[in-house]
Amino acid sequence: MSETRLRPKLRGKELILAILRWILIIFFAVYTLFPLIWLVVSSLKTNFEFLAGSPFALPAKPQWVNYTNALTVAGLGRMLFNSVFVGLSATVVNIIVASMGAYCISRFRFKGREKIFTLFTAGILVPLNALMVPYFVIITKLGLINTYGGMILLYTAIGIPMSTFLIRGLMDSIPMELEEAAYIDGCGFYARFFHIILPLSRTGIVTAATFEFLTCWNEFVFANLLVSSEKLRTIQVGIRYFTNQFSTDYVSMYAAIVISIVPSIVGYILFQEQIIAGMTSGAVKG
Amino acid sequence: MKLERSDRGPLYAFLGPAIVLMLVFFVIPVIYVFVVSLLKWNGISAPVFRNIRNYTLLFKDTAFKRSVINNVIWALVAGFIQVPLAMVMAIILSRKPKGWKFFRTVYFFPQVISGIALAMLWRAIYNAETGLLNGILRSIGLGSVACDWLGGIKTAFPAVLIYWVFYVGYYMVIMMADITTIDTSYYEAATIDGATDFQQAIYITIPLIKKTSLLTCVTLASVMGLRQFEQVYMLTNGGPANTTSTMVLYMYKKLQDANYGIASASAVVLIIVGVLFIVCIRKLFEGQSEETAMIKKARRAVK
Repeated sequence: MSETRLRPKLRGKELILAILRWILIIFFAVYTLFPLIWLVVSSLKTNFEFLAGSPFALPAKPQWVNYTNALTVAGLGRMLFNSVFVGLSATVVNIIVASMGAYCISRFRFKGREKIFTLFTAGILVPLNALMVPYFVIITKLGLINTYGGMILLYTAIGIPMSTFLIRGLMDSIPMELEEAAYIDGCGFYARFFHIILPLSRTGIVTAATFEFLTCWNEFVFANLLVSSEKLRTIQVGIRYFTNQFSTDYVSMYAAIVISIVPSIVGYILFQEQIIAGMTSGAVKG
Repeated sequence: MKLERSDRGPLYAFLGPAIVLMLVFFVIPVIYVFVVSLLKWNGISAPVFRNIRNYTLLFKDTAFKRSVINNVIWALVAGFIQVPLAMVMAIILSRKPKGWKFFRTVYFFPQVISGIALAMLWRAIYNAETGLLNGILRSIGLGSVACDWLGGIKTAFPAVLIYWVFYVGYYMVIMMADITTIDTSYYEAATIDGATDFQQAIYITIPLIKKTSLLTCVTLASVMGLRQFEQVYMLTNGGPANTTSTMVLYMYKKLQDANYGIASASAVVLIIVGVLFIVCIRKLFEGQSEETAMIKKARRAVK
């Protein structure tokens, strides 16, 4: 069909629509990119250049020293380590627990299976911010307030509905015959899980893990609530203190913000398909 | 797979951890906020039963009332301005213009940057002396409009509200995924009949995504609007004079004051308002699609 479609010259209304379309496309792109570019460019200026010059001006000489300042003044190294450590630990535990749960829900028929499944799905819709009070009390009662453990436990738990959902979706698509054949050959419960199902649901697991890690990395509300010690601050909580730490050293503060954003953007570009799949499939089914 | 007797043990062992986490971090907390919302409790001394007094106190507090109103405005703007914008972009990009993959990637950026970092960025943009916004205004000769956006009673809430409206990537991607599943023969037939792209969008695409991804996005966006916290916390901390407060921020402040009863009561209000929004949006979309069906019938009759 498309080969036979003639491309007439755009006239009148069509032309206006085409122009309007590109205006919109470019407007949204500029709206997203320009502030980020401004931030990066400003982070490479001297404070004098930043305060006196136009926002569109480029720095005379890129001031990389702002970045070394940012790393030392804010203690960004420690925060980055905390974020990576908490995020990775929570992701590993979360994926183990979720894939075990997803295996049971996806492959076996047992009493209460439907109810359990509904519980997991409903979990995706719960407004977690509203549960601040109980989370604070539970973590305190467990003696995990102000520890890595408290954050890791909470992040593991709040990601369970989503991860189970994503992994189960993939496990459902693995043919039953495969597992049944293995069963006849004498494969037990564990062997079937580790040797057949787990390797075959790799893509679902990667999506869930990427999504979980990104959620942990960007999480602020609970990290801020559960941790008061400076040593345990994740990068998101640390950002909050930048305004005090840097006071009038704007350019170093911008450098610190850039450092905090770069891992998210790089991770996104590397795992784009997984992140989009994770974020949209939950939404569409939910 | 049939469950063998020998599988029963491992099954419980496998399912157990996930179920325990779900109970402890989802089921119990939801029940918990409802119960604690009826108590006077500071987390240390013995709780006292208060019946619904927390709720009457809550609705006497102007800061809370303002928070509810702000959240409702926020949810409406998200659902009925941000999502329609996202829909327009989804329709445009799903026709795959030049560079659509690049634009899709760019539009999605704000979704992967943390809310708190975005808020810091916008704090820098809105800054009265050094901000980008005032810088642009001054350089195009509108210096007189420049002001302390986040500090002014009149400008603070619009400033906090407006900046993320144009971050449409998330909803756009959801709707694009839906649009690509539409049978292309509809469009081919419409093209033969001489329908323009615009007409195709209005009469084919929008009706077909209305009950699926569009409904999902409007619901999601409104619910997100009700949960706002990081942005206001970071940009204004609710000020000036509580004009930018939200329910979650209010709850957070009450929790900091160890006023667990009031904090839980505001959580309950948040949950109830959320459910109301979801129900109303569903009703609205069902009603509307019947209406368009009738319009279509009428059109056909006229022809």
